[in-house]
Amino acid sequence: MNQHPELIHFDEDHVIHELKHYLPSQTPLKDFIHHNSLHAFQDMDFYPAIFKASGIFGFQATFQLNEFRKLFKIKRIRPEIVEHVISRNKGSQAVSEWTDKMLHGKYDCEVDPKIGKLRSLWKECYRLDLDNLVQPLLFRILCSYLDQGIALWHFPHVDLGLLEAIRELERNGQTSFFKGKRARKLLMDGSCTISDLLRILVGDEQHYERYLFDQQFAHKGWSGIVSAIEDQPHTILYPKKISLKEMILLELILEIDALDGDLGTDWKPLSTCKEIRLLDLFETEPLTELQEVLSIWQDAFEWSYYDEVLSGLKIIRKMIREPEVAPHKSFQAIFCIDEREDSLRRHLEMVDPACETLGCPGFFGVEFYFHPANGKFYEKLCPAPVTPKYLIKEKEGDSDRKHELLYSKKTHSFLEGFAITLSLGFWAAIKLFLNIFRPTMSPAISNAFSHMNLDSELVIENTDPSHKENGLQVGFTVHEMADRVENLLRGIGLIQNFSELIYVVGHGSSSANNPHHGAHDCGACSGRPGSVNARVFSSMANHRGVRAILTARGLHIPDETRFVGGLHDTASDEIAFYDVKELSSLHQQKHEKNVLAFEDALNFNAKERSRRFASINTRQAIHKVREAIRRRSVSFFEPRPELGHGTNALCFVGNRHLTKDLFLDRRAFMNSYDYRSDPNGKYLLNVMRPLPPVCGGINLEYYFSRVDNYKMGAGTKLPHNVMGLIGVANSADGDLRPGLPLQMIEVHDPIRLLILVEHHPEVILRTIQSDPGLYDWFDKGWVHLVAIPPDTSEFFYFRKGSFENYQPKLDQVSTLEDIHDFLESAREMETNYIVHATQENLPVHIIKK
Amino acid sequence: MSPFIPVFVMLPLISFLLGLVIPAKKEKIIFWTSAVPVLMHLAFYVIFSIYWIMDGSPDLHCKGPILYKTKDSEFSIDFFYDKYSGIYLLVSAILTYLVLVFSRYYMHREKGYKRFFNNIMFFYTGLCVILFAGNLETLFIGWEIIGITSFFLIGFYRDRYLPVKNALKVVSLYRIADVLLLLGIWLCHHYFSRSISFFEINEQHRNGTALISDPAHAIIIPLIFVAIAMVKSAQFPFSFWLPRALEGPTTSSAIFYGSLSSHIGVFLLVRSFPLWDQEIWIRVLVILIGLVTSMVATLIARVQSSVKTQIAYSSIAQIGLMFIEVALGLHYLALFHFAGNAFLRTYQILVSPSVLNYLIHDQFFNYIPRQHEIDNSFWGRLKKAIYILSIREWNMDYFAYKWLWQPLKKAGGIFQFLSFRILTVLFIPVFLTGIILAYNQENIPHSVIGILPLFMISISLVLILKVFAFRGSAIQAWILTFLSQLFISLAIAFNEEFDFAQVYLYLSGILISAALGYFCLSWLKKQGEHIALNKFHGHSYEHPRLTLAFMLAILGLAGFPITPTFIGEDILLGHVHENQYLLTFLIALCLIMDGLVAFRIYSRIFLGPHEKGYHEVAYRSS
Repeated sequence: MNQHPELIHFDEDHVIHELKHYLPSQTPLKDFIHHNSLHAFQDMDFYPAIFKASGIFGFQATFQLNEFRKLFKIKRIRPEIVEHVISRNKGSQAVSEWTDKMLHGKYDCEVDPKIGKLRSLWKECYRLDLDNLVQPLLFRILCSYLDQGIALWHFPHVDLGLLEAIRELERNGQTSFFKGKRARKLLMDGSCTISDLLRILVGDEQHYERYLFDQQFAHKGWSGIVSAIEDQPHTILYPKKISLKEMILLELILEIDALDGDLGTDWKPLSTCKEIRLLDLFETEPLTELQEVLSIWQDAFEWSYYDEVLSGLKIIRKMIREPEVAPHKSFQAIFCIDEREDSLRRHLEMVDPACETLGCPGFFGVEFYFHPANGKFYEKLCPAPVTPKYLIKEKEGDSDRKHELLYSKKTHSFLEGFAITLSLGFWAAIKLFLNIFRPTMSPAISNAFSHMNLDSELVIENTDPSHKENGLQVGFTVHEMADRVENLLRGIGLIQNFSELIYVVGHGSSSANNPHHGAHDCGACSGRPGSVNARVFSSMANHRGVRAILTARGLHIPDETRFVGGLHDTASDEIAFYDVKELSSLHQQKHEKNVLAFEDALNFNAKERSRRFASINTRQAIHKVREAIRRRSVSFFEPRPELGHGTNALCFVGNRHLTKDLFLDRRAFMNSYDYRSDPNGKYLLNVMRPLPPVCGGINLEYYFSRVDNYKMGAGTKLPHNVMGLIGVANSADGDLRPGLPLQMIEVHDPIRLLILVEHHPEVILRTIQSDPGLYDWFDKGWVHLVAIPPDTSEFFYFRKGSFENYQPKLDQVSTLEDIHDFLESAREMETNYIVHATQENLPVHIIKK
Repeated sequence: MSPFIPVFVMLPLISFLLGLVIPAKKEKIIFWTSAVPVLMHLAFYVIFSIYWIMDGSPDLHCKGPILYKTKDSEFSIDFFYDKYSGIYLLVSAILTYLVLVFSRYYMHREKGYKRFFNNIMFFYTGLCVILFAGNLETLFIGWEIIGITSFFLIGFYRDRYLPVKNALKVVSLYRIADVLLLLGIWLCHHYFSRSISFFEINEQHRNGTALISDPAHAIIIPLIFVAIAMVKSAQFPFSFWLPRALEGPTTSSAIFYGSLSSHIGVFLLVRSFPLWDQEIWIRVLVILIGLVTSMVATLIARVQSSVKTQIAYSSIAQIGLMFIEVALGLHYLALFHFAGNAFLRTYQILVSPSVLNYLIHDQFFNYIPRQHEIDNSFWGRLKKAIYILSIREWNMDYFAYKWLWQPLKKAGGIFQFLSFRILTVLFIPVFLTGIILAYNQENIPHSVIGILPLFMISISLVLILKVFAFRGSAIQAWILTFLSQLFISLAIAFNEEFDFAQVYLYLSGILISAALGYFCLSWLKKQGEHIALNKFHGHSYEHPRLTLAFMLAILGLAGFPITPTFIGEDILLGHVHENQYLLTFLIALCLIMDGLVAFRIYSRIFLGPHEKGYHEVAYRSS
C-alpha cells in the first residue's frame, strides 16, 4: 500500500503487484502445498503481523478472550505458565496487574475490518447491492474459463486470454454477457485501462488503490486462484491464459454494467456521491491492550504444552544414558519426518526393540519430475520451492485404468442421459448400497498406491547426460546419485552400524470423496505420495557404483546391506514394499520376518488412530480395528478418512534416544540428526533449512484455519461444491474457499511449531545466522526454537537474537504402562468446541518399559 | 386394507416427533430414531404391497378425521393408495434410508446434527402426506411441509449469507405454488361443490366420463396444476432455483433436490392427470414445457463448470422428459424414469466431491489438447450466442427478478411515504369501524357492502406491500403484517353472510402467532439488539431458542398447518365466489406476500452472518 500519503498517483502495475502479494497463494486443489496463510505479513513479528492482518481483513487472529479464559479454567493453560509469560514479557512486578487484566478485564472484542468500507458506499448511495449483481456472473465466467474438465462444452479461445476470449464470444451478434451497450463497448474497444474504468466508478484517483483492494478481497478465493495460476501456469493441466489484471478489468466493466442496468445513466462516481475519508489500509498501529492480553494468553497456551514436553524430556534425559556400544540392529527404517509417522515408529520399536527408526523429509533428498507410464504430464516430486532438473520415467507397462460408468459425462446429455437413467440409474442404487455397507477401493477413490504401479520399472540411472526430455535429464548419473545418498545419510547421522535391511518408507494417503486429498499426502513431495522417491533413493543406495564412490569418500556401506523402498498409507494403515524380488533369498527371508513386525506395528497404529474416530470401537479385537480403519479410507460417507497434520506442534532435530520413550501423541515432526557426526554444524544448515517453510508452513496453515475457520479456512466440507476441478466453493454462486476444512482442523490446538535441536546453542545460532531467510522465521517468532545441548540437562530458548536458559516447571509427568489400556481409556471429544476438543489431545507421557 | 394406509403417514410423523425431544449431543439415538422407522416403513410397504397385489391391486381409499365441518364445507384428512403412490414411496423410502445411513457419520459433529435429522424426517413425513393424500386439502398439508423444510434444509448453514439468500429465493417461489394450490382447491370446491377425493376422480375417470364438462374450468383447473408442477419440478422458466437449492450438506442436496423434491411435480401431474386427460391442448402444453425445459436445461448443463449445478441441470432435463411421458399417458414409463433418475442423481451428488480426483486423474492420462475452435461462420456465431446464453442460465433468474419480485418491490416502494404512525392512525380506526359494520351488516346498503370486500383487501395489500419493501423496525413490520391479515378476514366477512366462527378459526392462530412474534421481537429490542430490516443480523447465533420461537410465530402467521389458521384459510376462501376474479386475485396476492414477508422478517433478524464481530463470521461471498 502507499506509504506516502502525499503521493496520490495511481500506479496500476504497482497496485496489482501489491494485490498479488496479499491474496491467498493456494494453487488448484489437485496438489496441496501447505504454507503460511499470512505469508504476506511475514516480514513483521508474529503478533503485530497477525493483529494487523486481522484489523485489515476482519478475521480472528487468536482464540477469543473468553475461550482462553475457559481453557485456563480447565487447566489446559497453567497458572504458573501464565505467570512466567507475563514476567518474561512485562517484568515480574507486573504479574498481578496483567493476570487481573487477563482473567477479569473487560474489553470490546469486536473485530471491525478496514477492508470493504469504501465499496459499501454503493449501498448507501444507490441502495443497490453491487456484489450481488456482479459476483455470480463474474464467478461463472471465471470458473467456466478456468474449468479443467467438468463442463462438456469448454470456454472457447482460452489461448487468447480472458478478455480476448470474451470478445470472441461477444462477436456473435445475438447475445451478450452485458446488459447495457456502454459496458460492452468498453470491453470490445479494448483500449481502456484500469484507471479509465476507476475514473468512471470512483472518480477521485486517491481512492483507486483502496477500491481495488476492497473489490478483490470481497472474493479473495477467486482473485487468489487467478493470481496463482497466472504466476504458476503449470499447476493446472489444461493450460489457461489468464491474469489478475484482466480479471480486474472484467469486474470493473461488469460493475459499470450493473450500475447502468439498475440506474440507467443516472449515477455518479463514488467520490462525487459521497464524502470519502482517506484511510490507509496497511497503516501499522500499536497493539491495543486487548491484543497484548490475547498474545500473552496465546504464549501461555503454547508454553503450557511446550513446558510439558520439555519437562518430560528433562526426566527422560536423567533416566537414560546412551549405550556406549551400539547393539546389533535387526533392521533400520527411514520414515518421513511427518508427525503422523511418530506413532508408527514408536509401535515398530515396541514390536521389535532391536530395530532402529530414523526420520528425514519424505522426498529422501532426491528431487525430480516423475513421468508415469502413459501419462501425458510430469509430476514434481520434491518440496515446492525446488525446481528439479531430472526426470524419472516409469517404463510402459500393463496399466489398464479402470473407469467408473456412473461418472461418465454422458449422463449429462439429453438422449444418452435418458438411456442411462433408465438403465444405469438402478445400478446407482446398488452402488450406493454397496458403498455404504461394503466400501471397497474403486477408481473414483484417490489411491496412494496407484501413484506408481507396484511392479513397474523405473529409469533411474543416466549414462549419457545429453539424454534429455523437455530440458530435463532423464535419470541421475552415478556421481549425482552418490552425492544425494551421501547427503541424506550424513544428514540423519546414519554413517555406521548399518543393518542388513534398511527400509526407506515414503507415505501417501487414500481417501474417498475428498477434494482435499492432496493435503494428506507428503508435503515434501509437493502434496503427492512419496513412493517413487523412496524407491529411487533405495535403488541409488544399492547401486554398486554409488557404493564405491561413497566408500572412497569414507562412508562405507557393507555389501550385505540392502535398501528397500516402501509406501505407508497413512489413512488405511497399509504398507507396500518395492523391488522385493530383487533381494537375495536370504534377504527375502529376513524381509518376510520384518514385514510381520511392520504389520503388527500397523495394527497398533490403527488402534491408536481409532481412538479419535466415532465410527470405530477401539476396544474390539485389533484386527477388526485395522479392518475398520482400512474401510474408513474407502468410505464415501467419511469426511475424516484421517486427521492429517491436525495437532502438530513440535519438530525434533536430533537422535531418536531423545524421544523414544516419550508418548507425544503424533504431534512431533522428527528429523534424525547426530550432533556427534557433525560437531561444527556443517550438515545442520541443510537439515534445518527446509523445516520452517515445510513444517512451519503446515503448522501455520493449521493455526489460521483453526482460529478462524470461516475466513481463513474452508469451513465445513459438507456443502462443498467442486468448481472447475480447481477448488471448492459453497453453493452455486459462492467464492472459492482456500484453506483447510473444518473436518481437518477440529482436533488441532493452534499453537506455533516448536523446533527442538540437539546441539550446542552456539552452533545452532551460528547455523541459523548464516541464512537470513531461515533466521527470520525464528527471530520474528513464526516458529519457536529450543536448543538441547548434549551432555547437560538444560534447555535454551531462542528469543530476541540469543538463547536463554529455560527451566521446565514440572517435576513429573504421567507414565504409560500398557498401551492397550491407555488407548482404550482415552476419551473422545464431547463436541468440537475448543474446550472439549483440546481434551482429546493427550498430555505427554513417559513410556514405561 | 385401506385402514392401514394412514400408517404410512403416522410412522414417519411419530419418528419426527420423537426426534424433536432427543438431546442434540446424542448422535447415535438421533440417528436410530430416524433410520429404524424408515426401515420399518419399507418393511411395512413390502408386506402391504404383497397383500395388495394379491388383492388385485385396487385403488384404496381411507376416510380420515374430519377437522372441520359446516353445512357447505368440510375439511377432512383423507388417504388414498394406488400404484403410483406405491412406486414413489418405494423409491423414496430406499433413498431416504440409504441417505440417512450415509449421513450418520458424514454429519458427525456438525453443528445442527439434530436439526438435520429432524428436517429430513419432517420432509419425509410431508412427502408421505403428499403421496398418500386422498384429497387436495390433505395434499396441501404435505405441500406446505415440504416447502418449509426446504427452506430449512437450503438455509441449513444459517450463519452464512448465500444459503439464507437462496433459501428465501426458493421459498418465495414455493409460496407462489402453495397459494396456486389453494386456488386450485378453491376452484375444485366451487366446481364440484364439495371436496372431491382422488378416489372419486379416478373412479369417474375409469368410467370414461369427462370430469370437468365446463370448458373454462376444464382449462383453468388443469392449468393451475400444471403451473404448480412446473414450479416444484423446476421446469423452464423456473429452473434456476434448483441449482441454488444445493446449499445444504451434500446428503440433503442429493436426496431432496437431486431426487425426491424435484420430482414431486411429476407425481402431481400423474395424480391430476384424470382432470386433463381429455384436454388435448393441455397435453400439448405439458409436452411443450417438457421439451423446452429438456433442451434448455441440457444446454445449460453442458456449460456448467461446477459439479453439483451440472447434475442439477441434467436432472431437470430428465424431469422435462418425464413431463412429456406423463402427457403422453405413459405413466409407468414416467415413474420408471423417475426411479432411475432419482437413484442416479442422488448417487452422483453424493459422490460429487470425488470428481476432482477422478477427472484430474483421467485428464492426466487422456488429455488431448483442443483441436478446433468455434469459427465465425453462421453456426459458429449461433454456438457462441447459445454459449453466452447458457452461462447466463437463459436469464431465468434475472427475468424472475424483473417480472416477479421487482414489480412488487416497486409497488411497495410507492407506499413507503406512509409511515408506521400514519398507517396505524389511519387504519386501526378503519378496522374497528369495519368490525362494527361487519356485525351490523343488515344496516348497510347493499351497494356499499358490495364494494367493501375489495376496499378491505386493498388496504390489506397496501399494508403488506409496504412491509415487503420496508427497511425499518421489524416490530413495526410485524404489526403491519398482522394488521394486513386482519383486513383479509374483514374482506371475507363482508363478502358473504356466514358463521363468524370461521373467521375466528382463521384468526385464532394468527392472533397467537402475532403475539408470540411481537414478544420475541420486543424482547430482542430490549436486549439492545438491532432489529431493522435493512440487512441480515444473524441473531440466531446468540439467541437460538428465541429463533425457534419466532420461527413458530412466522409459520402460524403464514398459515402453516400448525394452527387452525390453516384450516380457516381454506374455508374462508370458500366464501369467495367463483366470479369474483379481482377479489380472488387480490386475496391470493395478499396470501403470497404475507408468507414472503414473514420469511423475510425471520431471515433478516435471525439468520445470515452475525453482525457482531467478536467471533468467527463468514465472508459474505462464501
